[in-house]
Amino acid sequence: MNVQFKKGVLELCVLVLLDKKDRYGYELVQKISNQIEISEGSVYPLLRRLTKEEYFTTYLKESTEGPSRKYYRLTDKGREYLYELIDEWTEFSNGVNQLIKEGVGNNDER
Amino acid sequence: MTKDKFLNQLNSLLKNIPKDEREDILQDYVEHFTFGLAEGKTEDEISAALGSPTQIAKELLANYHLEKVTTSVTAGNIFRAVWAVFGLSFFNLVIVLGPAIAFTSLIISGWVMGIALTVTPLLVIVDAVVHPGAFLLYHLFFSMILCGIGYFIMLAMYYITKWATNGFVRYLKFNASLVKGGLTNDK
Repeated sequence: MNVQFKKGVLELCVLVLLDKKDRYGYELVQKISNQIEISEGSVYPLLRRLTKEEYFTTYLKESTEGPSRKYYRLTDKGREYLYELIDEWTEFSNGVNQLIKEGVGNNDER
Repeated sequence: MTKDKFLNQLNSLLKNIPKDEREDILQDYVEHFTFGLAEGKTEDEISAALGSPTQIAKELLANYHLEKVTTSVTAGNIFRAVWAVFGLSFFNLVIVLGPAIAFTSLIISGWVMGIALTVTPLLVIVDAVVHPGAFLLYHLFFSMILCGIGYFIMLAMYYITKWATNGFVRYLKFNASLVKGGLTNDK
């Protein structure tokens, strides 16, 4: 899939995963890569960028097993941005789905 | 790729980022490896899933330079940001296009000169046919000398073209590997 397109979608995925609860980096990466094929390494630059843009705050939390984890929490600004993205995505995907439906429909008529 | 190799490569690609921030960046990847290994994955599997350090570094550098532009607007910062964002494709355009234009124009001008000199006797004959009165033997002899010079220039151009084309193709390949980050070896 187109790289730029994927990047935009990746942003949405990260934001949406943090809407209900805080998560740590590795967890986010695994959640996403279970669903879509990505270069896992590109999630971290994205997390850094969105943190700098104040969509997330981070905090470290000790864990019973393994190293302490860096958690990401969605800020109000981030949540606002997420809802914007969801609207855009819904509109976009509805449009594409409609075109697919029409396209496939036409093929059947032939 | 092993964990150490991956981290070292990323570290050296990010050498333009100040130490504090770079260590912070690398820490994310160190953590990633730790969690992956704890899940029973091998270092190779983890680094393969992460993708190439070159690509990751490109994104990080673009972010870093863009952020610097927004905090302090100087010509140098803007240039570095544009450079980083366009990444290696912009680099490629300038580096390849310039020499390509110079190269082709030199070759073309060499050939034009050779061909023009070679056909001068023909022009003298055409001139003689059009203006029979103006014909001078001197013109004919002189044009034959030029024709000889032209012949040698074309001969030389033949080898120069062959040689220069090979050279340019090698340059292109070198450039392509540079653009893909091949010089720091990807695998």
